[in-house]
Amino acid sequence: MQKSDYKNMWVYVEHDGKTAAPVSLELCCELRKLCDKTGDKLFAVILGPLAGDQIEKILDCAVDGVIEVSGTGYEYFNTDAWANAFTVLSRKYNPSAIFVGGTVNGRDFAPRFAVQLDTGCTSDAMELEYDPETGDIQFIEPAVGGKIMAVITVPALRPQVGTIRPGTFKYAPAGRKEQVERIREEINFDPEAIRCRHLDFIPDESDPELDIANADCIVCVGNGLKDSEHLERYRTLAKLLGGKIGCTRPLYDRGILPYKLQIGQSGVMVKTKLYISFGVSGAVNHTAGVDAELLIAVDKNPEAQIFNYCDYGIVGDMDEVCDELIDQLRAAGK
Amino acid sequence: MLKILVCVKQIPDIDLVKMDPETGNLVRAGVPTLTNPLDLNALEAAVQVKESYGGEITLITMGPPMAESTLRECLAVGGDEAVLITGRPFGGADTLSTSYSIVKAADMEGRFDLIFCGKESQDGATGQMASQLAERFDASQVSCCLSIDEIGDGKLRATRVLETGREIVEATLPCLLTVEKDNFYGRLPSLKDYLAAKTAPITTYTENNIDGLDLNKIGVPGSGTIVPKIYPPELPEPGRIIRTGSVKSDVAALMDVLTEKGAL
Repeated sequence: MQKSDYKNMWVYVEHDGKTAAPVSLELCCELRKLCDKTGDKLFAVILGPLAGDQIEKILDCAVDGVIEVSGTGYEYFNTDAWANAFTVLSRKYNPSAIFVGGTVNGRDFAPRFAVQLDTGCTSDAMELEYDPETGDIQFIEPAVGGKIMAVITVPALRPQVGTIRPGTFKYAPAGRKEQVERIREEINFDPEAIRCRHLDFIPDESDPELDIANADCIVCVGNGLKDSEHLERYRTLAKLLGGKIGCTRPLYDRGILPYKLQIGQSGVMVKTKLYISFGVSGAVNHTAGVDAELLIAVDKNPEAQIFNYCDYGIVGDMDEVCDELIDQLRAAGK
Repeated sequence: MLKILVCVKQIPDIDLVKMDPETGNLVRAGVPTLTNPLDLNALEAAVQVKESYGGEITLITMGPPMAESTLRECLAVGGDEAVLITGRPFGGADTLSTSYSIVKAADMEGRFDLIFCGKESQDGATGQMASQLAERFDASQVSCCLSIDEIGDGKLRATRVLETGREIVEATLPCLLTVEKDNFYGRLPSLKDYLAAKTAPITTYTENNIDGLDLNKIGVPGSGTIVPKIYPPELPEPGRIIRTGSVKSDVAALMDVLTEKGAL
């Protein structure tokens, strides 16, 4: 295999026919910058019909082209048809890299076609760099629970496959290219050959307490929490501040709070005005998911990494500080 | 009778793994190991299926000889057979080559109807193994499974958790599943099963006794990815620590900050 035979980078556009997933647009924007360094062209790959205004939106992200795939098997997401489409397309066009949004379904099918193509796959990179000496992309991501950053490469195989979590990169469309290639492909996948088929979808009932992505204030509770009996005071504090409660991964793992409240790279990415953390150590995987105007950290360990990310910190017992803050807020008429 | 495979992994306690500041290598020596927690949820799902529909559970892992203790832990809570893949040439593998090695060894034990794995491992955390195993087993896959609603007629019906709701799917066997923990919290072994697992036989495969194993596809040579460099995360300069002598006055100072910044 000659690496130089593989050119151009692709972004898979996840969509429901009406709307392109934000992560796909974020990836187009970020990959534009990378392709400008590597000299590759950037293509968006769309399976099944997508509304015209959404394709316009993708073009605004300065892609060099769009590959639109039609055919049977794309009515509803299924790993078999999706993986097959990328394997067929990749063998025909030999892209250097394929990027897929790290949604539940993106993470479901991308590693699968990587095996079909016998190539390397990475997940959850937070930065993408290019090494002109090797011609390889450097996928930079937190490892070992966020203690270290690891550079991962696919040194000998192509395409380089990566899934990237939603919210990792910014949506900042660079404007439309003067010339855009529109490629149409027909790849039919026998619907009878779909081994895991969609029967039904039941949308979650909306619970405003679980919708924290854009809350004005978040009280985030971390692994310092002794047990669920100690949780109530943080709910009280969140209420007094007009905010919502969130948590770090260990609290979800311990079964104390639901997954939808887990903040960080593998959970919700939040954008908020005020963020107060209690007993949060500050692993990169968590802080990567926090975009706060004012970040306050409370933890008993003065060495905790969270103090590197805060604007103001208090070293102390999380429960005591929380109780005192509740008292003083109430005294102030909150 | 359903033949069920559960893939498990022994991992270092990542809270205790440190990076050697001189060499930049991860120091794992002396770090205690544990069974990857999400694998125990996968095992629990397999045990529940076995209880409802009948079946036999084979456990499989790849790792150094001490990974045997993870197999024994899992045997004690419902595994029937256990397979250890071990040997230096398997070391340093990424998911591309690990999935190859596991499937080649599993093939030695026959065809499986159901394969369960954890959603991801706490140490590597790529979450790629399940899909890659499914591809190599030529199986259907159901990831992020909340419940397994029915099995029969060479098919199963299951509920998946997506970002905005639940999806009901029907998949043909063989099928690989990863599970959410909600309905599959692990269980503790009885003393009898715990003791029985201590001396249960374990089938060991090395690079020398797996039929048709291509040595170029295992370990480092078979890996698609490498990790040329690790480094500590760059930390921003610490924020201002409020330190006034008492919790009361610290919080009072914080109240001033919140008021001044218009956060109240």
